[in-house]
Amino acid sequence: MAIERTIESELPGGGPPASVDSRRTVAGIGPYRLAWRRLRRNRVALAFGGLFVAMVILCLLAPVYARDVAHTTPDANHITEQVKVGGKIVEVLSPSGIPIGPTWHSRFFLGADQNGRDVAVRLLYGGRNSLFIGAVATLITMVLAVIVGLLSGYFRGPVDGVLSRAMDVIWAYPALLLGVALGVVLAVGGLNLGVIEIQGNSLMVPAVIVGVVYVPYVAKPLRGQILGLREKEFIDAARAQGLGHLQIMFGEVLPNLASTIIVLVPLMLANSILLEASLSFLGAGVQPPNPSWGTMIGDGIRFIPAAIHTTLVPGIMLMLTVLGVNVLGDGVRDAFDPRARIRVER
Amino acid sequence: MLKSLRLLVAVLLTVTLAGALSACGSSSKSSSSTVTNLMGTAPDYLDPGLGYTTQAAEADWIAYTGLLTYAHANGEAGTKLIPGVAQTLPTISSDGKTYTFTLRKGLIYSNGAPVKASDFAYTIQRSIKLNWGGKSFFTENIAGAEAFDKGTAKSISGIKAEDTTGKITIELLAPYGAFANVLAFPAAALVPTGTAISNLSNNLPPGVGPYEITNVVPNQSFSVVKSPNWSKDKIPGIPAGHVNVDVKIISNTQSEAQQVLNNSADAFDWADTLPAALLPQIQSQASARYSKNPTVSTFYFFLNTKVAPFNNQQVREAVMYALDRRALSRLDSGFQTPACFFLPVGMIGHPRGACPFGDPNAAPNLAKAKELIQKSGLAGASVTVWGETRQPRREYVDYFASVLNSIGLKATEKIIADATYFPTVGNLKLNPQAGFADWNQDFPNPSDFYLLLNAKSIQETNNQNFSLVEDPHIQSELAVLDKVPSTNLQSVAKRWEALDEYVAKKAYVAVFGYEEVPKFFSQRLNFGTAIFHPVYGNDWTSWQLK
Amino acid sequence: MATFIVRRLASMLGVMFAISVLTFLIFQAIPNGDPALRLAGRLATPQQIEDVRKQWGFDKPIYVQYAKTMEKVFDGEVISYSQQQNVESEIWRDLPVTVSLALGAGVLFLAFGILFGLMSAVRAGRFTDRALTVLAMFGISMPAFFLGAVMEYYLAYKAGIFPIGGYVKLTSDPWGWLTHLIMPWVSLAILYVGIYSRVLRSNTLDTLGEDYVRTARAKGLSRREVLVHHVLRNSLIPVITLWGLDLAALFGGAALLIETVFNLHGVGQYAAESIGRLDVPPILVITMLTAFFVVVLGAVTDVVYAVLDPRIRLN
Repeated sequence: MAIERTIESELPGGGPPASVDSRRTVAGIGPYRLAWRRLRRNRVALAFGGLFVAMVILCLLAPVYARDVAHTTPDANHITEQVKVGGKIVEVLSPSGIPIGPTWHSRFFLGADQNGRDVAVRLLYGGRNSLFIGAVATLITMVLAVIVGLLSGYFRGPVDGVLSRAMDVIWAYPALLLGVALGVVLAVGGLNLGVIEIQGNSLMVPAVIVGVVYVPYVAKPLRGQILGLREKEFIDAARAQGLGHLQIMFGEVLPNLASTIIVLVPLMLANSILLEASLSFLGAGVQPPNPSWGTMIGDGIRFIPAAIHTTLVPGIMLMLTVLGVNVLGDGVRDAFDPRARIRVER
Repeated sequence: MLKSLRLLVAVLLTVTLAGALSACGSSSKSSSSTVTNLMGTAPDYLDPGLGYTTQAAEADWIAYTGLLTYAHANGEAGTKLIPGVAQTLPTISSDGKTYTFTLRKGLIYSNGAPVKASDFAYTIQRSIKLNWGGKSFFTENIAGAEAFDKGTAKSISGIKAEDTTGKITIELLAPYGAFANVLAFPAAALVPTGTAISNLSNNLPPGVGPYEITNVVPNQSFSVVKSPNWSKDKIPGIPAGHVNVDVKIISNTQSEAQQVLNNSADAFDWADTLPAALLPQIQSQASARYSKNPTVSTFYFFLNTKVAPFNNQQVREAVMYALDRRALSRLDSGFQTPACFFLPVGMIGHPRGACPFGDPNAAPNLAKAKELIQKSGLAGASVTVWGETRQPRREYVDYFASVLNSIGLKATEKIIADATYFPTVGNLKLNPQAGFADWNQDFPNPSDFYLLLNAKSIQETNNQNFSLVEDPHIQSELAVLDKVPSTNLQSVAKRWEALDEYVAKKAYVAVFGYEEVPKFFSQRLNFGTAIFHPVYGNDWTSWQLK
Repeated sequence: MATFIVRRLASMLGVMFAISVLTFLIFQAIPNGDPALRLAGRLATPQQIEDVRKQWGFDKPIYVQYAKTMEKVFDGEVISYSQQQNVESEIWRDLPVTVSLALGAGVLFLAFGILFGLMSAVRAGRFTDRALTVLAMFGISMPAFFLGAVMEYYLAYKAGIFPIGGYVKLTSDPWGWLTHLIMPWVSLAILYVGIYSRVLRSNTLDTLGEDYVRTARAKGLSRREVLVHHVLRNSLIPVITLWGLDLAALFGGAALLIETVFNLHGVGQYAAESIGRLDVPPILVITMLTAFFVVVLGAVTDVVYAVLDPRIRLN
C-alpha cells in the first residue's frame, strides 16, 4: 500500500517540507508512473521508439502503397517488362537475370528483386510479416515463460524438476539449429495438433517456432525471481489467509514480476525479429512467395556485386527497426532501474 | 591499467591492419602439369558402381572403361558409341535379345592385374548389390538379373563370360534398343572380380582407363592422375591425357567463380551455376575463356492430366500460351534456351518444326490464355504448384504461380526441401496438380526421356511420370521405337520427331527450356582444344596447358 | 565437489539423450521424408526402394532405429544419408574451423566487450558513454549475416584487402589462416561486443553504487585502485559466465550463418547443409555435441564463479 503524499518530489529527502499539513493525505508515485516519467525524459529512447513506431505504421500502409503508388502486388512478377527511368527505357530484369536498381519513381522505387517484383512493395509487406511474427512470437514466449516460470518457481519440487529439465533441453539445443530443423520440417507438412491445424506456409509456423525457442531465455530469470520471492513472507501470509494457489500466483506473485516482464518484452521483440530474419535467410522461416526481410536478404545475397540494393534495402530496414526496439528497450530498462539516478549524476 | 589496455588495443589494431593490407591476392602453387578443377557439389560417390551424378561420372568415365564407351568429341560426334574394353561394337541377334562381345586381348588394370571376361559379370553383380541408382537398367533388362538382385540366384543367368576366349554374351528379357548405352555407364565399367561390395569411394578399386582417381578426401578434394599402365592398354578412340587434375570442392559458387576469374584455379564445374552478378565481369574480362554450352536436358512444369483443372485440354493449352519462356530463361541468368518440345536440341527426335502454341522466343499470348480459361469454365480453380527450395527452381515456381494467377486460376505455392521434392511429387497419394520437373539425359537415346511419359512407368511411390500421362498413341509408338538398337537410331529419327510433336500439341507437360552450362577456364588452360562432351561435360583427357 | 561433478555429468547425459530423441522425432515427422526414397534415386522401382529400406534398417520400428543409430554414433560409425560418409570424421575435419572461429571471435569480443564496458561505466553519462552505447546498440541490432555479406562485398570483393571467403589451415599457412578469419571474427564479434559491453557497464555501475565501494573511496583509495581491486572482480563474474556459455554454443556451430556466408566449412555450416538435405545422422551428432559443450562449459564457469565469489556454493 503506497503512502499518500500530495507533494510530488523525487529529490532525496522528499523536497521542501515546510508546507506539509500532516492532516492532509499525501499521494506518492507508484513505480510505473515513476518509470514513465523517467522514460519521458529520455529523449534518445523516445526518438528511437518513435522510429520503431514509424516503421510499423509504414509497413501497415503496405496495401495503400502497393495499390496507389506502385500499382502492383507483392507477388506479381514483371520479369520481361520494361520501365521508363529518366527518359530511358530499361528492362526490369536484364537478360542475365540482374534486377534493376532503385528508380526513385513510383514504380520500382527501390528497384526490383530476382523475380522482377517491386522491392519497395515487398519491403513493406515483408515488414508486416516480420513484425507480425516478431510480435506474436514475443507474445507466445512471454505467455509460456510466465506459465512455466510460475509453475516452476511457485510449486518447486517435482514440477520444477520436470519443467526445468525441459527448459534445459530447449536451452541447450542450439537455437538456430532447432529453429531451422523445425522450420524445414513444418514447411513441408504444416502443423497438425488435432485441434489446431496450421498450413505449412502460414506465418504462424515461424512465429510459433521463434516463440517456443526463446521460452527458456525468459522462463529462467522469471523462475529465479519467483524463487527469490517465495522466500518472502507475504506468500505464506496469503496462504495462511486461505487464498488458493491460482489467486496467489496471479494476484500476488505476478504483479511483482511485472517490471521484469515489461523490461524483457522489447528485448525479446528485438531478438524475435532477428531470429525470424535468420531463419528466413536460411529458408526455414517465411515460405515463398510471402516476403519477409530475412527472405529478401537471403534472396539478395547472390546479387551482391551487381545489384546490392536487393540485400542492402531489407538489411538496413531490419537494422533500423531492431535498433529502434533495442534503444527503446534500453530506455525502459533504465526507467525501471531504481539506481538510474546515480548513473546520470556522476 | 586502463592505459596499458589502450596500448594493447592499439597494438592489436596495428597488427591487424598491417596484416590485412599485405594480404593481397592469393597463392597459386599448382605445378605446371596439374590443373585445378573446382566443383560446387561433391560427387555423390566416386565408386563407379554407385556414382550417379554428373560430378561422379565426369571423373569415373576416364578412369573406368566398360565394354562400350563414347567417342571423345564435341557435339553429336560425342554421342557415338565406340568399343571400350570390347574389340568391336556388339553383334546383336535378329530378335534383338542377345548381345555378343569379345574382350580385347592383353588388357590390364591400373594396378597391372589382367582384365578377364568374367570381370564383366562380377561388375554388373556388384553394381546391383550396391543398389546403384540406375540398377533397374540392369534388373529390368538382363535375364536373371532380377533373380540375382532378390537373392534367389547366385549369379546372373543372362550373362555368360568365357575367360579363355574373352567371349561375353548377354541375354535380354525383351529387345531394348538403348541397352548398348546402358553398357557405357560407369556402373558397367569393369572392376576386378573380388572387389569389395561396399562403398569404396575413399579407396577406389583399379580400373581400365587413361586416368586413375587418388587422394580422396571426402567432400573436400580428390586427384585424377594419369595412369602409368595406360600406355600398355592404348584402346583406340580413348586418348591418353595431358595433365593431371586436382578437384577441389568449394560449395560457395561465388568464390568458385572468382578463383577461376582471377586465375587462381583453372576450371569452374559446368554443373554449377555461375553467379549472375559476376557475368558482366566474366563477359568483359574473360570472354576468350568462357562460353555457354547446351546440354541435353529439359526443364518443364508437369500438369496432372488426371485431376482438375489440368485434366482439361483447354486449360493446359492456356498455360502453354501464357508462359513467357524468355522470363524463365532470365531467372536462370540466361542459361536456358526457350523451348516447347520435350526432346531437347542435341537429342535425336527433337522436332524441327514450329511450336504449336507460339514462338517460345517471343512474348506470350496472355489474352488467348485468359480466353481459353474462360471457355473451359474453370476460371478460379485452385491449383497448388510444387517446387524445390534451391535457386533458381524456387523462382521458376514463384513465376509460374504468378502467371497462373494472372490468367484466372488461383495458384498457391508449396516449396519443399530439395531432398524430399521428387519423392513427394512422385507419391501418387499426394496427387500433385502441377510443379517443377526436369530431366537430364542418362544416355543419348530418346527412350530415356520418354520414360517420363510412358504409362508403364507410373508407380505408387517414386513415380516419375508426374503428369500421369496414359496415352494409347504414345504407348503404341514406344512399343516399336524402344526396341530399335542405339546403333540404328538415325533410321527412326523422323518417327521420334512426329511423336514429340504430338506430345507438344497435347500439352501434357509445359516445357519451358533446355539448360545451358558454362565452359569457364583460367587463362592457362587451352580453351579451344578442350572438348565439351555431350554426355559427360568437360572431357579431362583433352585438357592441356597453353 | 564430487557430488557436483556427478550431478552435472548425469544432467549432461540426460540433456544429450533428450536432444537426440527430440531431433530424431522432429525428422520422423516429415511427410515423404523416408530417406530410402532419396537414397534409391529417381529411377528406382518400388522393389528397389524396399531393398534400400531393408539395407538401412528403415523398415524397423522407430525405437529400434533410434537405438541402432545411437549405437553407431557411440561406435563412431554412423554414416550420413546423403553422401554415405562417416559423420564423425566429417565433423572432426570441420571442427578446427569452428574452434578457430569461436576462439578468435571469443577473445576479440571478450577483450573489446570488457574494454568498452569499462570505458562506458567509468565515463557514464558523458560523450564516450553515449558514443559507445550507440555503437553497442548498432552491434546488437545488426544481423551478423548481413554485416558479414556487406563486409565481404566492400572489403574483399571491391577493395581486395581480405580474401573472399574460405578457410586456410593454421598448420599449413598461419598468415592465410589469420587473413581468412579476420572478417568472420569481426562480423561475429560485433554482436557480442555490444551485449557484453552493456552487461559489464550495467554491472560495473551497480557495483560502483555499492556501499563497500564508497567505503573504499572514503578510505582514500584512488578511483583506479577501487576499480581494479574491488569493482572489476565482481562485475566480471557474470560476464565470464556468459562468455563460457556463448563460447560453448559457438563451438557447437552457433555461428553457422557466418560460416555459410564466408564459406568456411565448419561444423555449423555442415549442420545447416545437413538440415537442408534432411540428413538426420549429422544433425543428431552435432546437436548432441553442442549440448555437450554447453553443459560442460556451463559447469566449468560455475566452478570458476564459485572460486571467484566465496559466497556462492556449488549446489
